[in-house]
Amino acid sequence: MTRRDRPPLREPAVLIAPGLLFLLAAFMFPAVHMLAQSLFTVGADPARITLEHYAKFVADDFYLGVALRTFRLALIITLCCVVLGFPLAVIIARTRGAVRTGLIILIVLPLMTSVVIRTFGWLVILGPGGLLSLSLESSGLIDRPLSLMHTETGIVIAMVQVLLPFLVLTTLGSLSQISPTLDEAARVMGAGFFRAVWHVTLPLSVPGLVSGSLLVFALSISSFITPTLVGGVRLPVMAGSIYQQMTGSFDWGFGAALSVILLAATMVVIVPYLAMTSRAGGRS
Amino acid sequence: MIGAVPGSVIVAGVAFAIAIGAFMLIPLLVVIASSLSGSEFLVFPPRNLSFKWYAEVLQSDAYLAAGWTSLKLAFITVLASLSLGTAAAIALARFAIPGRALLSSLFLSPLILPSLIFAIGLLMVFSSYADGPSFTGLVVGHTVITLPYVIRTVTANLADMDPHLDEAARMMGARWWQRYWLVILPQCRTGMAAGAFFVFNISFDDAVVALFMRAPDVETLPMRIYSTLEFSPDPSVAAVSTIMIGMTVVLVLLLNRVFGLSRIM
Repeated sequence: MTRRDRPPLREPAVLIAPGLLFLLAAFMFPAVHMLAQSLFTVGADPARITLEHYAKFVADDFYLGVALRTFRLALIITLCCVVLGFPLAVIIARTRGAVRTGLIILIVLPLMTSVVIRTFGWLVILGPGGLLSLSLESSGLIDRPLSLMHTETGIVIAMVQVLLPFLVLTTLGSLSQISPTLDEAARVMGAGFFRAVWHVTLPLSVPGLVSGSLLVFALSISSFITPTLVGGVRLPVMAGSIYQQMTGSFDWGFGAALSVILLAATMVVIVPYLAMTSRAGGRS
Repeated sequence: MIGAVPGSVIVAGVAFAIAIGAFMLIPLLVVIASSLSGSEFLVFPPRNLSFKWYAEVLQSDAYLAAGWTSLKLAFITVLASLSLGTAAAIALARFAIPGRALLSSLFLSPLILPSLIFAIGLLMVFSSYADGPSFTGLVVGHTVITLPYVIRTVTANLADMDPHLDEAARMMGARWWQRYWLVILPQCRTGMAAGAFFVFNISFDDAVVALFMRAPDVETLPMRIYSTLEFSPDPSVAAVSTIMIGMTVVLVLLLNRVFGLSRIM
């Protein structure tokens, strides 16, 4: 058999097989295993199918409260990211050369710094006698030391800094696909600057803005490092409780059930996100 | 001039960009400033500047061991992720394989599933079918979460390259290893390099998978920083964090220099 007679699928199959098998074993299998774990009794032999872990979640006001706090915070964080991130993305889209590169570095550098380190920075800023308290005191706005540690405000401030880059980069992606001639046309026809932004730039950047917000929302409900370190034990969120169940109290069945609930909530926002990005040309 | 941005809007825009820039950078600057403290406690602003905490870190076995583990982990993850990812990306970009759309969303799916959920599943699998979390477990976990980045950079890179070069090589009678070594892999070089930067950065900085896959004898730098912050932060954490920030700055500037950040982000 000459080389040309080889079945045409053999080469791509050899190339893709190692990665595919790896993903099936190391990604799909653990994900399915986790889902299954939430439905089985722990410790009993043989393990029975049960809904007891879910029942525990529904019956316990504490965990319902945790879930509500997680969603409320994620909504506020997403809203703040949109309000701060959209204007910044418009500014970046309208700059060129060194200024543009500088602004993008400003967004990418914190994004590529470990979340643990950024949260550490916020602990020093928000803590008692921290930078925020000192500067507010010296400007006379407050007369007693202020601490935003263990407050929801503190969690929101730190999380917005952690997640803002995702919104800015996603929105920037759809802004750079808008032809500048559209804005020029609006201006030639007599629209003022704000009118052109409001009627041309904003509507055309909606896909990027929506997929960016969904991404921020999904990342926000599943993050535990920043909320746990800033919020502490008094303000638990879903992801922090899961970490506690898995590594502290070792109730893996309940931990898995909490994760499935979190995953379901993520899917509710991720599926529209996927639909939007695939229509927008696959850019995420 | 029609289309010009009003002066007041430019002033407001500059002020806004500076404010956001400050907001984004302040946590990093505060960490750097705290590392220069001469006192025993983590205070801000630091009193009596000194580099003594850097000396402390460089003499601490725990930090050095964690740093070595993190470096080793990041390098092995880069190798694993690049080999699996580049091969799959070539198959996805160059061949008309059945179910290509489905396969490529499968390869990108670790980006979408929250890494927290994946980390829990991985912990359960390693506890049920292996001897619990381990260094190998961390390599596996980091390879999964970084694979999409390699697929993305290499696929994007191959889309800009001429597929006819490979056909030409094939027609001229090149053997398969000659085609890959002399034509296809050189075409993937830029994508592989960009992918390697991202993989290294993500693996070196990750705390989520690492905290769930915590093995008794394996500790990475982000794990060490996290547990120090939970219990007893002192300026040595700030010194370690500053070194890591320095590495990120170098990586980001290199990425920008070699590929142009506005193009690849």
